[in-house]
Amino acid sequence: MIRFLRDRKVRDVLWQALATVGLVVVVVFFVRNASDNMVKAGIASGFQFLWRDSGIEVPFNITGYKPSDTILALLWTGIVNTILVSAAAVVVATVIGFTVGLMRLSHNWLLSTLAAVYIEFVRNIPLLFFVLFWYFGVLAALPTPKESYDFLGIAFLNRRGLSIPLPNDVAGFQLALLAIAVLIVAQIGLARWAKARQARTGRDFPTWMVGFVLCGLLPIVALAVAGAATSWDVPTLRGFNYRGGFVLVPEFVALFMALSTYTAGFIAEVVRGGIQSVRQGQIDAARALGLTPGRVVRLVVIPQAMPVIIPPITSQYLNLIKNSSLGAAIAYPEIVAVFMGSALVATGQAIEIIAITLGIYLTIGLAVSAFMNWYNARHRLVTR
Amino acid sequence: MKTVCRIAALAAFFTGSAASAQQLAPSPTLDAIKARGHIECGVHLGLPGFSFANDKGEWTGLDVDYCKSLAAAVLGDATKVKFTPTSVQQRWAVLQSGQVDLLSRNTTITFSRNATLGVNFQGINFYEGQTFVVRTKAKVVAVKDLADATICVAAGSTEEKTAADWFRERNLKVTIINFQKNDDAISAYDQGRCDAYTAGIGALAGQRIKFKDPNEHQILTEIISNDPQGPVTRWGDERWQLVVRWVLNGTIAAEALGVTSKNVEEMKAKSASSEVRRLLGAEGKFGQMMGLSDDWMFNAIKQVGNYGESYERTVGMGSALKLKRGANELWTKGGLLYSPPFQ
Repeated sequence: MIRFLRDRKVRDVLWQALATVGLVVVVVFFVRNASDNMVKAGIASGFQFLWRDSGIEVPFNITGYKPSDTILALLWTGIVNTILVSAAAVVVATVIGFTVGLMRLSHNWLLSTLAAVYIEFVRNIPLLFFVLFWYFGVLAALPTPKESYDFLGIAFLNRRGLSIPLPNDVAGFQLALLAIAVLIVAQIGLARWAKARQARTGRDFPTWMVGFVLCGLLPIVALAVAGAATSWDVPTLRGFNYRGGFVLVPEFVALFMALSTYTAGFIAEVVRGGIQSVRQGQIDAARALGLTPGRVVRLVVIPQAMPVIIPPITSQYLNLIKNSSLGAAIAYPEIVAVFMGSALVATGQAIEIIAITLGIYLTIGLAVSAFMNWYNARHRLVTR
Repeated sequence: MKTVCRIAALAAFFTGSAASAQQLAPSPTLDAIKARGHIECGVHLGLPGFSFANDKGEWTGLDVDYCKSLAAAVLGDATKVKFTPTSVQQRWAVLQSGQVDLLSRNTTITFSRNATLGVNFQGINFYEGQTFVVRTKAKVVAVKDLADATICVAAGSTEEKTAADWFRERNLKVTIINFQKNDDAISAYDQGRCDAYTAGIGALAGQRIKFKDPNEHQILTEIISNDPQGPVTRWGDERWQLVVRWVLNGTIAAEALGVTSKNVEEMKAKSASSEVRRLLGAEGKFGQMMGLSDDWMFNAIKQVGNYGESYERTVGMGSALKLKRGANELWTKGGLLYSPPFQ
């Protein structure tokens, strides 16, 4: 037995097992203690409340949620809204961030100063202030429903949001989406073929031009055909507001704008740092080969900067997702507002609701970092 | 010998307990209040007329006055209260965790709160009814005119659910926007995000003064709910609940019996009414039954006044809100307020 313990591997496993058991015991103790005390204090506990009717209105949802649905459906709507605004803001923040980061490095004085001013401005302002600024800014800039901006009589912009028509029948659009998917696959195949041919024969192929037609023009045609084939639910002014169609609420726009412009400032600095980490010799060498400035950046600088850029950019994405909880301050119905706000007060089950919310943020965050790590590993520069 | 000892001990025990008048049930809350020297009272974040800190930082309002009466009854000094402002979301956790001894903050009594939150409602100090504030130029007369409107509301309040139910039951479509705090909902309404803001009629009378131009807005007279509100305690500690309940009853009884802060000394000394004498501690030793001094209600009424005095000063004609008594009048004068007898 003693000799058995002298084996270092066995000892390591033993210690880890002990630590795990200890942790589980502590967690079980706290959970049981809390639930005992809650029963004594007459506070309801458990997760049955998730199947109760919610009765809570959510003005902006794409899940088809109704107030007569359960609190679980409400939770799902909150999650979808959180992911929706985060995903949109991540994409736009990345685009703005890369642009501003490259501008910051430009030799053009005006461009680099503008970028520097932007970065310092957004980095030194509290995000909550930024969110409220966008929200009340958006509201103040827009007209009342009766004086809406009218776009060809089918879309209307006012303080209640942007009302756009919705198709009554989505079958045509499913076909169009299928067609678009096929086009994208075709484009990927074509790009591979063009690359292989270039490697073999050295001949260039206008991949981008063809891609523009395949992934840009043809989908528009497909969507237009699908749109013409169905009838539309066009918003009309009834009483106070436009009814019908889909309403993009100002809360979404304000939160989206605040998150994307704010995070872009941080991403820009990350991009700048990453690009500056690429040695000047690489750029000189690429130029010496006769590559155009655009290709120097795209083929030499960015691929070498990416391994430096991706880990900190992942943190920025995670920050953005967590920061979307500030939507609660302006009534954007994301998970904190609808679940930790409305549902918590309706049921009073604070411990369960906060634990679920924690778990959801953790899951989303871990999924994002796992994806980014995978992406980073896949695109790591192969060094020989 | 042993038997004799036991009998002697038993006899001593019984005479001893008889001598100490009455055994009181233990009350950890009362003991804690007496030890720390003040009451911890959870109030609204800021609702003029009910609980509102004025420019000198002094809390005023109907709900605040109730806590002051309680402090006068328990500690003999109405100023010995610490007010903790609580939001709609925080209030239950703050009470359940023992951070405050009670809530006195425009909180509607509902079945599910009573059944699932581990809280008890100790009576009604304000009969509230929900209605809407709209822009005067919108020409809304009745609540049903709000069909297709957008309505701002504080998330998790009873108003959120009441409004949603009211329109759904009538097959009217409205958009309800939930804000985390009343003040956020009010400023969003003021900015034109919504056509209406909904809350209790008493609360609206107070909140209206927060608008940029109060005269551009009108409060509808139609009421779509009954929202009785009063002090809330957590489960357990029955003796503390007893005190909270009967101080509220005492302020209402004092008004019914004609006892005011001005005549309370005279009434205690000269009143022929036994109920007045019991209320003010001149006979009956009612305070001792709860573990308080016998002049508990005397102090409360002398220092804070009876319910009617408090009402007029905070939300009634003596205040900026100018609310009529309405349902919050004594039952003898056509209202709903009623105190069980002090017998």
